[in-house]
Amino acid sequence: MLNYIWGGLIISSLVFALVYDTRDLVRDTYRNGADVTLELAVEGDAAQRRQPARVRISPDSYRALYGVDAAPTGAYEGMLVRTADGMQLRFAADASVPEPWATIRDMTSPRDNDLRGTVLALDSHTDSTATAVIQFADVKFVKMTAIAQAAIDMAETAVSLALGLIGVIALWMGLLKIAEAAGLIHTVVRVTQPILGPLFPEIPKGHPALGMIVLNLTANMLGLGNAATPLGIKAMEELQKLNPNPDTATNSMVMLLAMNTASVQLVPPVILVALMGLQINQLIFAIIIVTFISLVVAITAAKLLSRMKRYRTQPDGEV
Amino acid sequence: MEFLRSFIETASVFVLPLLIVGFPLYGMLKRVPVYEEFVEGAKDGFRVAVTIIPYLVAILFAIGMFRASGAMEFVVEGMRPLLSLIGIPPEVLPMMVIRPLTGSGSAAIVLDMIQQFGEDSILVKMAATMFGSTETTFYVIAVYFGAVNVRKTRHAVPAGLLADVVAMIAAVYVVRLLFG
Repeated sequence: MLNYIWGGLIISSLVFALVYDTRDLVRDTYRNGADVTLELAVEGDAAQRRQPARVRISPDSYRALYGVDAAPTGAYEGMLVRTADGMQLRFAADASVPEPWATIRDMTSPRDNDLRGTVLALDSHTDSTATAVIQFADVKFVKMTAIAQAAIDMAETAVSLALGLIGVIALWMGLLKIAEAAGLIHTVVRVTQPILGPLFPEIPKGHPALGMIVLNLTANMLGLGNAATPLGIKAMEELQKLNPNPDTATNSMVMLLAMNTASVQLVPPVILVALMGLQINQLIFAIIIVTFISLVVAITAAKLLSRMKRYRTQPDGEV
Repeated sequence: MEFLRSFIETASVFVLPLLIVGFPLYGMLKRVPVYEEFVEGAKDGFRVAVTIIPYLVAILFAIGMFRASGAMEFVVEGMRPLLSLIGIPPEVLPMMVIRPLTGSGSAAIVLDMIQQFGEDSILVKMAATMFGSTETTFYVIAVYFGAVNVRKTRHAVPAGLLADVVAMIAAVYVVRLLFG
């Protein structure tokens, strides 16, 4: 299943990028090579290399040129820059320009993030205003560039995510080692065996794996995501000790995964609290009800699917 | 109900410190060499983090490409008629598609919806309930199975996704029941 989903994600992103880029080429979304007429209010000395300018474009001509509904409102801070290859108009970095200017900026000036165009004609008026005709660099294959960039960026993100976990994992693995040595895990196992035992029939009675599972699920319920992950990893390691085929998931592992992805949340995750503020109080019961429903579904699905022919590991369906 | 809620909230503040202090304290009472045991266990932290890197890279880069390609908009558009049939508002669709794939992405959607519809909107309540009641399934699978080098995940993905789908649909109905 994961093979197909993974391959499907990659292949479909290529297909979609091709479709969108072809559409952009056909529609000429970015009006490559088009002259853009702007109104400037220049300040300072025209002999200077850099001259500040406030840039304005009439919304109607923007809409007419690009065939879009959104148009720039008001003026943008900018700069006329005289270089060896002629004059350039640079918008201030991170100016909030509408599409398609935003994409043109991202594509043509990814590093400085300032929209820039070559000034073809500059018609200065007496009252320090000017009419400028500029041209942006050609923009092509936006999505194609984007998927390649996304692949590289996310690969880096993955590593920093994993490395960021080292400390928390080490902390909890250390604490759990103490708990194990002190016999605390065995106590947890004894107490929760009657409830959780039937869901994990492959775990022998009194095995520490069940204790780790209990701690992981409890941390999840209390919204302690930071602690839940290392505890879950520890539970998986204990389950792996019982696994006859180390590269294949056991029924218990899938059950743990399913219960994790659908675990009952008594306390909502921290991010949600940050986003919603006090509103979250109204939602707590909705979240508890929904997670309870999905927990039941997850447990049932994990049990039933494990008996399906294509998911069996051995002829008798047992692992 | 109000009492129960504030009790749970207060308890959740105390759980972490109690566990972090409680384990070593209990260990000392049982005459366990706590420092040595801690260091012994913590040694595994680095190994585990490094073990999950290839799995995380595999899952995250594929999801990143998919999002960047614009495929998400297409999926959302394609599912719209089907979902309006069972009474799910199209505005919460992006949430349903993105939630199992990325946590930060779905948090951004909640934020975006708050700005678009206002905090009190029932759509925001639905999206937030979806966010709170499901997990980033693919991330969890990558990390948990990655940590023990299990590559054949069998029915983990279908079981996790099925629970997600049911939770998303349930969120719409439960929120409508409570606030609609």
